[in-house]
Amino acid sequence: MGKSRISNNIRKLRFFHDEMTQQQLAEKVGVTRQTIIAMEQEKYAPSLELAFRIARVFDVPLEEVFSYGAEAESK
Amino acid sequence: MSFQEKNVTVSLINFTLILGVFLIRVFQMILGGSFNSTNVFRLWVIVIALAILVTIFATILTHIFSAIIQAIKTGEENPKVEDLADERDRLIELRGTKVTYFVSSIGVFLSMLTFALGQPPLVMFTLLIFFGVVAQIIGDISRLVLYRRGF
Repeated sequence: MGKSRISNNIRKLRFFHDEMTQQQLAEKVGVTRQTIIAMEQEKYAPSLELAFRIARVFDVPLEEVFSYGAEAESK
Repeated sequence: MSFQEKNVTVSLINFTLILGVFLIRVFQMILGGSFNSTNVFRLWVIVIALAILVTIFATILTHIFSAIIQAIKTGEENPKVEDLADERDRLIELRGTKVTYFVSSIGVFLSMLTFALGQPPLVMFTLLIFFGVVAQIIGDISRLVLYRRGF
C-alpha cells in the first residue's frame, strides 16, 4: 500500500488559510483528523465527493488541490 | 489513535482471549477424554455468546474510557468522543472483512477436508469455530495494519 498517484496541496492550502489546523479542516469536511493526515501524506486518495468538499472549503477549483500521475511528478 | 482504531485493537485483544479460552478448553477435553458432541456444542455456544457479549461491552467500555482520557487531556466536563466513521474507516472495515471472509473460507475448506479424510464430524465442527475466530483475528490485524500505514 504505497503512496497514491494522486498528490495534493492540502498542507499548503491550510497554511494559507489562516494556518487552519488538521482538526478544523476535518470538522469542516466531516472526516476524522487521521484521514486528513493520511491524505496529506499521500497515503490515501479521497473519494470524489470528499475532494470536492475540501476544494470548496479552500474556495479553489479541484485541480488546485489535487493533481494526478505525471502532472503530480512534475511539481 | 482514532476511536475506530481503538475499537479494532480491543476487538483483537478480545478475540485473542476467546481463542485462548477455546484452545485451553479443547485440550482439556481431549486430555480428559471428554471430547464428545455435548461438550463440543456447549463450547460452540460459549464461544459465540462470548464473542457477541464481549464485543458489545468492549465497544461501550472503549467509549467510556475514551471519554475519560479525553476529559483528562482537555479538562472539559463533557468531553466529545470523535466516534464518527468516515469513508476511510469504512474502506478499512471492508478490506478487513474481505480478509476475514478469505481466511474463514480456507478454514471451512480445511475443516471439510478433515471430514473427507475420515476424521469424525466433531473434529470438523471444532475446526470450523477455530478458523472462525482465527479469521476474525487476522481480519482485525489487517485493519490495524491499514490504520497504522495510513491506508
